[in-house]
Amino acid sequence: MSITQISVFVESKPGHMGRVLGAFADNAINVHGFSASDTGEYGIVRFVVDDTQRAEEVLKGMGAAVRKAKVLCVKLDDSVGQLQKAMEALAGAQLNISYCYSLASTYIAISVKDIPAAEEALRAAGMAVVDDDDLAGFMVGETM
Amino acid sequence: MGTPMPTPDKIDFSKLPIYKPEVECASRERIRAIQLAKLIQQVEYTYARVPWYREKMDAMGVSPSDIKTLDDVRLLPFTDKAALRETFPFGMFATSLDEIVELHSSSGTTGKPIVVGYTKDDMDVWSECIARLAQMAGVTASDRVQMAFGYGMFTGGFGLHYGIQRIGGTMIPAGAGNTERHIQMIEDYGTTVLIATPSYAMHICEVGERVGFDWASSTLQVGLFGGEPCPPGLKAEIESRMHITCTDNYGLTEVMGPGVSGECLAHRDQQHIAEDHFLWEVVDPDTGEPVPDGEMGELVLTPLDKKGIPVLRYRTHDLTRVVTDKCACGRTMARMQKVRSRCDDMLIIRGTNVFPSQVEDVISDIELLAPHYHIVVDNETGLDRMTVEVEIKPEAFSDSYEEMKGFSNEVRDKLRSVLLVTPVVKLVEPGGLTRTMGKAKHVDDLRK
Ligand SMILES: [Zn+2]
Ligand SMILES: [Zn+2]
Repeated sequence: MSITQISVFVESKPGHMGRVLGAFADNAINVHGFSASDTGEYGIVRFVVDDTQRAEEVLKGMGAAVRKAKVLCVKLDDSVGQLQKAMEALAGAQLNISYCYSLASTYIAISVKDIPAAEEALRAAGMAVVDDDDLAGFMVGETM
Repeated sequence: MGTPMPTPDKIDFSKLPIYKPEVECASRERIRAIQLAKLIQQVEYTYARVPWYREKMDAMGVSPSDIKTLDDVRLLPFTDKAALRETFPFGMFATSLDEIVELHSSSGTTGKPIVVGYTKDDMDVWSECIARLAQMAGVTASDRVQMAFGYGMFTGGFGLHYGIQRIGGTMIPAGAGNTERHIQMIEDYGTTVLIATPSYAMHICEVGERVGFDWASSTLQVGLFGGEPCPPGLKAEIESRMHITCTDNYGLTEVMGPGVSGECLAHRDQQHIAEDHFLWEVVDPDTGEPVPDGEMGELVLTPLDKKGIPVLRYRTHDLTRVVTDKCACGRTMARMQKVRSRCDDMLIIRGTNVFPSQVEDVISDIELLAPHYHIVVDNETGLDRMTVEVEIKPEAFSDSYEEMKGFSNEVRDKLRSVLLVTPVVKLVEPGGLTRTMGKAKHVDDLRK
């Protein structure tokens, strides 16, 4: 079980990220979560949106370099120690996290190589893993 | 029917026409004898008629009678574009305007244009040079030749036009623009030869493909290219997609226009120089001294029978090497390597000579990069630093910094192996580099 994220190659120049966000806004694409980091020259900006298919079309139409990828999505209880619990469950299963970022509300997106193994480890620790449809249902009205 | 590109070993050169074999296939001794006789006359003519040269030669203490061998050309002054610009419009003309039958000009990227004038004899030489290069590509009187250059002051249009008529070919003077009309004319008139810039030929090709025109079964067989340098990759692409054979020629408005040299099908990266009309030298661009035989240097040209505007030792700033062995096509006229770079393009980075064309070659070989690049050179840190910005294709993007870093390192290593300088490679998003038609500005040298 996983959700789909969409990544965009963005040069580290003023306005480049804004161009992507502007295109999302113009096409009524809602951003549920994102992570942006860069090397000083360029960055990989990762998005979780309400309509990945449409987002991909829009970005490709702009000629952007775009990739879709599966990531794990975990719903955390809104209480102390939950994030640590998730990380420990994965560490306990010897699973390495490539990157991780939070979405709106208490959801986090986690990129791992072995999604089924990570999902199992998290479930064993009593945590809720969700897919695109679940997320869409929960996220009505939640935006970033 | 369009013919696919023949490889040189499959061509029967005895079946290809040679416009003036008694000269084009003459012995080297005979060629040199023709050159010397003409050089002596030309220097006398120039000294007698053009004050600019008379003053220069007097100041150098050289008189026309000092020219006794071909090597004595080195006693003469160089000419560069500035001389033609400073004397604009007619200061370098050796005849009265009454004898001039045609004017052409080149705009140049900066400053005043230059204007050149041709006498009737000059036009004769010019059209013969074009006739020769057209025949190198197999063009004969039975060809229908469609012009996609603009006519006007530019030397390309009329130059090629007269040369084709000299052979007896049928000129179709369509001119530049209206691509769909060009395709329609090829179909309607059974055009066999297209004259175009390589980038416009590519455009015609693409538009044709889009409207469903079948290049493989079209009548087109040959492309005669000019007006801009033709990168080998682009030429190969056009040849395979349009099913034609393409050659390109070399020339400069200042010494005549197109036709100084032309590509034969035996050596696709070389062009035969019309040596009975042009004396060539290859010199070190810094010292002006000759480089050893066959080595790379700046091409210097002296037209040997130009009457309207005689020019002595014109500095082309184009880098090439020249070989003089007999060609498989049967010609003995020297061959110059196609010009890929100009000495003014050369960058010296930490003591190493680097040409933008080398970067272009490396980039165009990398599948995942678009064929655009931009070079920035600075010395902010005290040392020369060369940054090459390259544009990734969407397929090159991976959702991992590690992989992107790996890719840019791969590009850097490929550049280093060719340039012998380690550049910084900067990945730019698709469409991120500005495109310019024609002479793109590829280099920013910010060194202080
Ligand atoms: Zn130069
Ligand atoms: Zn040849």
